[in-house]
Amino acid sequence: MVATPDIAASETGAPMAPKPGFLSRNRHFLLLAPGVIWMVLFLIVPLVMMVYVSFWTQTTFAIKPDLTLKSWATFFGSETYFGALLRTLRIWLTVLFLTLLLGYPTALFIGQFVRNKTVQTVLLVACVIPFWTSFLIRVLAWRPMLGKEGAINIVLQKLGLITQPIEVLLFTELSVIIGMVQIYVVFMVGPIAFMLARIDESLIEAARDLGASSSTIFRKIIFPLSLPGVVVGAIFVSVMVLGEFATASALSGRKVNLLGNIIVTQVGSLKWAFAAVVGVVLTVVMAAVITGLLRIVNLRREL
Amino acid sequence: MQQLTATRWVLALYTALFLAFLYGPFVVMAILSFQQGPEGGPQFPIIEWSTFWYKHVLGFAPPSRVAPLPIGEALTRSLTLAFATMVVSTVLGTLTAQAFRRQFKGSGFVFYLVVLGMMVPGVLLGLGMALVADQMDIARTWWGTAFVLHVVYTYPFAFLVMLAIFNRFDKGVEEAAWALGVPPGRTFRKVTFPMIFPGVLSAMLFALTLSYDEFPRTLFTGGSEVTMPIAIYGTFAVEIHPNLFAFGVLTTLFSFSLLAVYGILMSASVRRANARASGIQEDVA
Repeated sequence: MVATPDIAASETGAPMAPKPGFLSRNRHFLLLAPGVIWMVLFLIVPLVMMVYVSFWTQTTFAIKPDLTLKSWATFFGSETYFGALLRTLRIWLTVLFLTLLLGYPTALFIGQFVRNKTVQTVLLVACVIPFWTSFLIRVLAWRPMLGKEGAINIVLQKLGLITQPIEVLLFTELSVIIGMVQIYVVFMVGPIAFMLARIDESLIEAARDLGASSSTIFRKIIFPLSLPGVVVGAIFVSVMVLGEFATASALSGRKVNLLGNIIVTQVGSLKWAFAAVVGVVLTVVMAAVITGLLRIVNLRREL
Repeated sequence: MQQLTATRWVLALYTALFLAFLYGPFVVMAILSFQQGPEGGPQFPIIEWSTFWYKHVLGFAPPSRVAPLPIGEALTRSLTLAFATMVVSTVLGTLTAQAFRRQFKGSGFVFYLVVLGMMVPGVLLGLGMALVADQMDIARTWWGTAFVLHVVYTYPFAFLVMLAIFNRFDKGVEEAAWALGVPPGRTFRKVTFPMIFPGVLSAMLFALTLSYDEFPRTLFTGGSEVTMPIAIYGTFAVEIHPNLFAFGVLTTLFSFSLLAVYGILMSASVRRANARASGIQEDVA
């Protein structure tokens, strides 16, 4: 085996030194190039194109590269479109708050109260299992749950809690929020449980020995140490909720239009320039949200 | 201490309710998939229990007013796309993670460039890609414009998984192999690959399931030949029927079998590694 390089060298008749030199000098470049080129071509170029097209002129069915601010003026001048921006922000904040509120206790239980590693894993896997059902079918499954003759109304009526079916459950903003919370809450539970499980137990014991009450321990130790998990979860949830359109169109009967829904409709009617404007607005909102969340904790230091 | 026990029980009860909330819609869906057909709709009450909608999905039901799901073609496309995406993104992820094993200038930039791929919402990327394709007169197809976006989405996951694996990986073993004169190719096959195999498997699973279920990116870039999620999305506008629920139950079972294969391969790899380790120990002894 050791002799192989010599044979190869004598066969090619070329000096060996430059070739491995070239390879090892450029090894990093060769390893990185495919991925970087792929991302620049298919991630950066499309995004830049979107920003560029948002300034193009829209004719009835086509776009022309004559720069104009007309589409931008339409967006901020229209009640419908500006309203969609406000609605997106409102639904995003509601879902973010609810996923944190509903997810934290579960994460606390898994991360702090279950000390057996196997049980912890089983519980986390149980949270993740629904993800192996198609996202769209999971959204649609809420319809027979929430409808006028849906499971929730039937159960509540059987229990005698209500006499008339609750109609606001489906095809309203409420149904969109319920659906999104159920789909995205796991992204909050996971990171928080992960951070909570890493807390050194002796820290809590020490605090207890020094006479700290459970609520003080939670406020002064447990919650601050879980904050990086909260931020990671919030980033996941925000990114997904802000770019949503499927849940809104499936559970609101097209009544609740988010920025994502507007992009889909505009593309459907070939209004590319206008769709691009909405896309840029969405990108700016998202960038602001993520930067803001990263201000709360220094993730690079914490993780 | 009593207070703590009480808290534990309250939280345990809460977690049970939380899981019920997560599983509720799926259970309702599974029940309704046994609705009588073809008249029975996707709501309660169950008129009569039947497996009509399962036959409908699989194409055995007599023709009725409910159009069959385009299972054959759309599912084949989705699986082909998911498989191609899996291969390409796992290779790219492994290559990039391999480069990150040494410090280099601009590593922060490359890291964020790659991770951006999983952060940018699909609808934006789909829109951008559709614009680029339109202006360059490239036809939008599921195997072209949609495929490259699927990789943009799944490659960051593969990269992060492989990065985590390489971080825990003892470089000394590889160096020992080189020092003993084992050629790099053979070292990779015999030493590096078995060690990173669990990571490769996880990266593949991530890419496969994400791509198979992907639809915001595919919606604008997939062209007229639809993939399975796009076919389902198409039913949003019209009336839905329990055949979608039967399909949901079937695909979930399929996912579980996939997960089971992953579990078996994973534990086999762990067992092999353990056996090899104990074999080496015996040799040394």
